[in-house]
Amino acid sequence: MIVEPYVRNYLSEHYGDDAYRTLAGYEAKGGFAGLKKAVALAPEQVVELVKASGLRGRGGAGFATGLKWSFMPRTSDRMKVIVINGDESEPGSFKDRLIMERGPFAVLEGILIGAWAMGAQRSYIYVRGEYAEAIRALRSAVAELYKKKLLGKNILGKKGFEHDVVVHGGAGAYICGEETGLLESLEGKKGQPRKKPPFPAQHGAFGLPTTVNNIETFAHVPFIVERGVEWFKGRGTEKSPGTTLFGVSGHVERPGLFELPLGTPLREVIGHAGGVRGGRRLKGVMPGGLSMQILPPTELDVPMAEEFLSQRGTHLGTGGVMVMDESVCMVRVATVVSYFFRDESCGQCTQCREGTAWVHKLCQRIEQGRGTEADLALLTDVPKLMEGQTICAFADAAAWPIQGLLRHFRSDFEAHLSERKCPFPESFEL
Amino acid sequence: MPTITIDGTEYEVPEGRMVLQAIDDLGLLMNGVDIPHYCWHPKLSIDGSCRLCQVEIEGMPKLQIACNTPVANGMKIHTRNERVLAARRGVMELLLINHPLDCPICDQAGECKLQDYAFQWGVPESRTREPRRPAKKAVDLGPTIVFDQERCILCRRCVRFCREVPKTGELGVFNRGDESLLEVFPGSELDNPYSMNVADICPVGALTTRDFRFKIRVWFLDDVKSVCNQCSRGCNLVASRSNNKVYRFVPRRNDAVNETWMCDHGRMSYKLNGQGRVEAPRVDGREVTFTDAVKRAAELLRATLDARGKIVGIASPFASNADLAAFRDLLARLGAGNARFSVPRGEADDVLIEAEKAPNAAGCRALGMTESNDSIGRADLALVLGHTLTAEVFGDVGNIVLVDSHESALSARAAVVLPARTFLEKTGAFTNSRGLVQKFSAVVEPEFEAWSEADTLAQVAAAAGVS
Repeated sequence: MIVEPYVRNYLSEHYGDDAYRTLAGYEAKGGFAGLKKAVALAPEQVVELVKASGLRGRGGAGFATGLKWSFMPRTSDRMKVIVINGDESEPGSFKDRLIMERGPFAVLEGILIGAWAMGAQRSYIYVRGEYAEAIRALRSAVAELYKKKLLGKNILGKKGFEHDVVVHGGAGAYICGEETGLLESLEGKKGQPRKKPPFPAQHGAFGLPTTVNNIETFAHVPFIVERGVEWFKGRGTEKSPGTTLFGVSGHVERPGLFELPLGTPLREVIGHAGGVRGGRRLKGVMPGGLSMQILPPTELDVPMAEEFLSQRGTHLGTGGVMVMDESVCMVRVATVVSYFFRDESCGQCTQCREGTAWVHKLCQRIEQGRGTEADLALLTDVPKLMEGQTICAFADAAAWPIQGLLRHFRSDFEAHLSERKCPFPESFEL
Repeated sequence: MPTITIDGTEYEVPEGRMVLQAIDDLGLLMNGVDIPHYCWHPKLSIDGSCRLCQVEIEGMPKLQIACNTPVANGMKIHTRNERVLAARRGVMELLLINHPLDCPICDQAGECKLQDYAFQWGVPESRTREPRRPAKKAVDLGPTIVFDQERCILCRRCVRFCREVPKTGELGVFNRGDESLLEVFPGSELDNPYSMNVADICPVGALTTRDFRFKIRVWFLDDVKSVCNQCSRGCNLVASRSNNKVYRFVPRRNDAVNETWMCDHGRMSYKLNGQGRVEAPRVDGREVTFTDAVKRAAELLRATLDARGKIVGIASPFASNADLAAFRDLLARLGAGNARFSVPRGEADDVLIEAEKAPNAAGCRALGMTESNDSIGRADLALVLGHTLTAEVFGDVGNIVLVDSHESALSARAAVVLPARTFLEKTGAFTNSRGLVQKFSAVVEPEFEAWSEADTLAQVAAAAGVS
């Protein structure tokens, strides 16, 4: 059980302290100074400040947070809504869980700053259903905020500044972590992403103007407002400022969370986790969750920020770093990955529904030593039919890891064809 | 109005529409501008999931679905360049990996969009070696529709139809990914007054009507435009015929009347054409030749005129405008005053079904006829079209000359019965409840001697010397 990150920075500095989970403990560490600063500014100024900070969303796509906030209509005769994505369904990702469990007030303060900036009257925090402790922590924090009049009407004595927070436990599907799949699920419908337009800023949760941000994104906001844009831009890279909680898992000595500045070289991130287990050789790393393309050991010096990773054909994603050592059969990895995406596809779009299943069947056959050259050719072609053509990015997420595995580990696939069996006896079992 | 360019040709299109809608508004969709589509339907909400209608729009890096991309002035759209065709081939290939190749025994063959588009835009050879997904065959979804689950391509038109048009929502897609299956919700069945429309909008052979299924190959049918006569809405339809037989009614799009739908009752009414017909002319219950029946009717008419007896005319809201006009004119020549008529009434809904259960009450009113269900009172001769009034109303009438297509209590009592053609056996027009005059064409020939009401009345008038 993870209780705190092994490497801390501003975000997780007090995660080891149980008192930080109470309002008094949070305020003792400077909590709500950011909100107080924010309400002294005009809402538009707060949006500009977040824009100037360069904060990028921490949910996977890395979209500029301030820009997203500016999409919310300034005036609206309908209630405006913030939805906070705590579904954290990306395999290899487990940072939001800790943030919710250990730092719920920073998230809520960030939400209140967003509410002030965007004029939103209600928030829905959508938390992965299995995260019972996170749901408990958030609910207890919300109850405390209501008691102390930091939620409800006239917050901080500001007339007209009202905000309500609903903590909603999800019912478990990968696709409910997709922005609009989440909105459908929140509304009690089957979790299926919505076509765009309309975009959530016009027609989001319950048809209301909505902004959806990730849990971690909001957790950074109070620090940015309180300590200033320059302070924030002083860590991380120019295009990706701030820290993130890298979750390192797989074949490392000490898997866990590490709060490091964005742009930290991948080698260093893995080093914090004690390096590859048992002194074995590294075979590959998925740098940002299951849906991102794998990197070979030759790319270990890549700075872990979107602008550098995208040059290498992959993405930062959620910062879930999955390390695989030399024992690993990459065809098995492809089989597991394709099984996951086949199982989790919502089934709306033709390419995703049919493509994910086809890719999985091809991987299975090659893995079992029954594959042919034609199968390998198809495994190259079918992901191309899926990529970039569907309602949401799920089909991309299903296609990319397969493409990455084929790009860097094609010899593993070819060995299965020629030897008619899996040549990696020590690999993990399916 | 914004101007868009499609494959080099400029079009002015309505504002605020999606690309596919705008092309459809111009009447060009699949009729000059070919953008194949499955989930999109002009009268249902946009789904955007089949992804077949992807087009390239200059300035947008990804292909866009035409069904959900708003038109913008100056937009340049490509529908048939290699990039678009490749994406289309991809969708077709993926749709076919789990679709059974059972066209030879599938009732949709010949009017199947999957078959058509696969020929037009697909790849001739299958690259998949995987066994196809097994699913249910020939399941009854309700009293009208039979479902072949393995043929379903999950376009969800039927799901949206049931939610949006009859608002009964019996259907849903269950499970997810490649295990997605269309089903009726547990404990319910597909049973609503419009259920059979799902067979029309199903692009493949997954949903077929129990009534039409396996009756005939569609390429043996030819379609004739007609109008439903079961209520005053006058839903536009095509009657499919072969060998002088009507096999089915299918709704025909008319945005001002029935959009693209019709009710199950109206659809099944094609069967009425062959049931309970007045096949032979009769005089006092005895079958006679058509000439003799006309002669007897003329004798009765002449005698009543000569005796200065009272003649009344009873029109029918099932008759065509031409027949009604001929009837009115004849009655005027006879000095009998205009006809009266009666309309059967029943339940209405807020979709299509109207309370007046006849197609041409508006036509009767337009010709100055008055509606009445009251007793006719004393009269020497009643000239009657159809049987919308009960026989009792004719209690004090001396002789009845009836021109009618179907048997009734009244035809059993009439002195002279002359068979009439139905609307499927002649060309004419009805005026619907909104005042729209709608033409219908002859679909079949009667298998016995019968003429339109106007023709029959003209023969009687000539024989009676009142032409």
